[in-house]
Amino acid sequence: MENTIPRRVYDFLKEFPPFNLLGRDLLMRISERVLVQYRQPGDIIFRQGDPPNTHIYIVREGAVHLLWEKDGEPALVEQCDEGDVFGIRPLLAEENYALTAKVVEESLIYAINVEGFREVLENNPKVAFYLASTFASGVGENYRRQGKPMLFLDQEKMADVNYPLVEVQSLEKSKDPVTCLPDTFIREAAVIMSRREVGSVIVVDEASRPLGIVTDKDLRSKVATGQVGLEKPVAEIMSSPVITVGPDITVADVQIEMVKNRINHLCITEDGTSASPVIGVLSEHDLMVVQGNNPALLIREIRRCRTGKELRHIRERAEDLMKKYIYQEVAIAFISTVMSEVNDELITQSIKLSQAEMDEEGYERPSAGFCWLALGSEGRQEQLLRTDQDNALIFENVPEADLEPTKKYYLKLAEKATHLLNEVGYDFCPGDMMASNPSWCLSLEQWKAQFSTWIFEPSPKAVMYCTIFFDYRPIYGMKELATALTEHIFENIGGQAIFLGFLAKDALQNPPPLTFFRNFVVENGGEHKDEFDIKARAMMPLADAARVLILDAKVGKINNTFRRFEKLAELEPINKELYEQAADAYEILMRYRALQGLKNKNSGRYFNPSELSKMERVNLRNCFQPIKELQTLLTLRYQLAYLG
Amino acid sequence: MIFNWVTKILGTSRDHPEFWRQYLASFDGTLGKRTPIEEIGFVVFDTETTGLDSRKDRILSIGAVKVQNWQIDLRQSLDCYVQQSYQPVGETIEVHGILPGTHNEYNIDEIEAVKQFVGYCHNSILVGHHVAFDISMVNQVLKGMIGQRLVNKRLDTAALAVRVSEKKDYEQPGTYGLDTLCKKYKIPMSDRHTAAGDAFITAVLLMKLLARLKSRGVKTMGDLLRGPGF
Repeated sequence: MENTIPRRVYDFLKEFPPFNLLGRDLLMRISERVLVQYRQPGDIIFRQGDPPNTHIYIVREGAVHLLWEKDGEPALVEQCDEGDVFGIRPLLAEENYALTAKVVEESLIYAINVEGFREVLENNPKVAFYLASTFASGVGENYRRQGKPMLFLDQEKMADVNYPLVEVQSLEKSKDPVTCLPDTFIREAAVIMSRREVGSVIVVDEASRPLGIVTDKDLRSKVATGQVGLEKPVAEIMSSPVITVGPDITVADVQIEMVKNRINHLCITEDGTSASPVIGVLSEHDLMVVQGNNPALLIREIRRCRTGKELRHIRERAEDLMKKYIYQEVAIAFISTVMSEVNDELITQSIKLSQAEMDEEGYERPSAGFCWLALGSEGRQEQLLRTDQDNALIFENVPEADLEPTKKYYLKLAEKATHLLNEVGYDFCPGDMMASNPSWCLSLEQWKAQFSTWIFEPSPKAVMYCTIFFDYRPIYGMKELATALTEHIFENIGGQAIFLGFLAKDALQNPPPLTFFRNFVVENGGEHKDEFDIKARAMMPLADAARVLILDAKVGKINNTFRRFEKLAELEPINKELYEQAADAYEILMRYRALQGLKNKNSGRYFNPSELSKMERVNLRNCFQPIKELQTLLTLRYQLAYLG
Repeated sequence: MIFNWVTKILGTSRDHPEFWRQYLASFDGTLGKRTPIEEIGFVVFDTETTGLDSRKDRILSIGAVKVQNWQIDLRQSLDCYVQQSYQPVGETIEVHGILPGTHNEYNIDEIEAVKQFVGYCHNSILVGHHVAFDISMVNQVLKGMIGQRLVNKRLDTAALAVRVSEKKDYEQPGTYGLDTLCKKYKIPMSDRHTAAGDAFITAVLLMKLLARLKSRGVKTMGDLLRGPGF
């Protein structure tokens, strides 16, 4: 008969991989054999080096840390939350545990006896594959090796979005490798290369395994210079070892490998290592061919655009490019740099076009030069999707008599430029934080006075402006005006500790994004009821914290939130780990927001947490940890408890 | 010794049916005051009934799980639905949604259900939320069958929760109700108001309460017995 209790275990398990891959009857039978274990913080479920238990485990509620102990120092490899499977070693190998599982929160654990589950593996290759891959990589391991956080771990998810992932097909044609043996004479190799019209030849052993590579460059630098004779074997000039990749590599991977290793050729082997036969070669040229939209190309095209419509078209192509990067899990640092370059160029071109138009209309350019500032997310180089414009304008100090006409000219310019940008797809700022607003189109002197007022008379409104204006970045014009303003700000802040306190307090306005039930805090009412506000709840607290800390450290010119954290990690070794986590978290959040924005065709700011996959929820939740810790750090450092 | 005490009161067991003789024999004295909490076998159970009067009302279902060493083994859970000819009038049907005569395929009669339950419990400590009521329901059947009643030690999770509570006031009515306690101790409440579902929830609650008592030095059956709740 169907028992109520196994049924509830079943209902839980069926939501999580690999159990979601099992048929109903099978999973029900498994559920009937579960042990429900209660564990307290500090309990050890198994210890590194222990012989395997008879069970594998799933967290029903609470949290378990998997720790890797080396020289008595436990390092956190992974946090297992609701639905995570751990301790699967007994299922796959007769080896001792490689990690220690330690309970960190009051937890309920479902333990499943390995006996009987092995047969499940035999009959369900997908389950076996899932477990084997989890086991082999270990999520934590993956995280460290890649250096960059990943949002999606399963390919199926990516297939779901129905996006042409990579141009793997177009890479096919270079899969006819030109090879030679190591004792081939250099002369012969050169003949082969020119006959086959290739820039490189892979040096292989008898089993076709790659030993090294000889490229045009090697011939130029080592042979043509007379350093090595033509009658020597290629082994003398080859670069070794050769960088190898697997056949399922993506364009983005290729790009990253090439940049990372400063090479122009990659060798494709059967299993991606140099221990298997060569099946192809990829050159930078192949890459250029498959990449229609290359950022450098886009930027060159922007400079040729004459209308808002043309610019808009380029921005859309840039977004396609970004989409590819996002889905290929290219590092956010790279994506945001590329997109900022594109944005900056679009803004620059809009200003240039506007100014040219004013010239034609007979406006005379004032003698005082100007600098266009990007504020907010574009100022921080974090704008991936088009959002509202936030900008301001500084012009050089002018004699009192010239102030009005100068300002009038620049307001007109700003009006034209912001309209053009609006056409490109950057909406007007609803709060009118734009250079076309007379309050934000000021001379350097006026700007200095404005910032002094904000710093010396901190009010909630002033703090709000600061959070927007302090992230300014010069885009076009006289960048020295922006530099002078930054210097002024740092001088002022030096004598005004209370101001940083106010900023820090503002950074605590948003409570941590999780309730104690580990659920996302969602909006209570309004248009976005029950949706999670990733910007306000998770990104702004990090951006705000980074701003306060970097201002305090008097580091200018780094606007990007994760770069600010990276800098802070360098400056404060004691909090290095926290800052690094915060930087990683911010990158994940940016990626996530971009994904949501692409999916829902909006700014990606709001989404429903229930639409996330388990993996995504866990990833996001992990991002929230540093927020809490940073807020504690701010509270202590600026003694916010006393500030009231 | 418990066993001696049992035989003293109930006389020799020769007249009893086999299931009851085995039940009594299970009280062999292995559970004592010094038995650590980890080694105590608890049977956490719940009954759904036609009403709240143990003299008149009947059992509709019994659900139970075993807790030992901070663990519930689902292979050993009990979930039986009872065939009743008695037609209910009470309002409890609305609460648990079981109508007498539904679950036909699996139904067993009341006597068989109680026999199974007694065989299941043996000398375990019986635990439930307001367990006295559920025990009296079972006893009512046993009395009719063989003129006997359960002799197990019992533990009420409601009373245990009061004992665990930091504040000794009895704030509001319902503070120690199962729903409120589940919220307080963050126990997900699916399948409320099925006997097995409630038994499972109560078992999780028991473990959470015992853990808190243990941290305050309640480590053996003797320690448990000294306080309220027993």
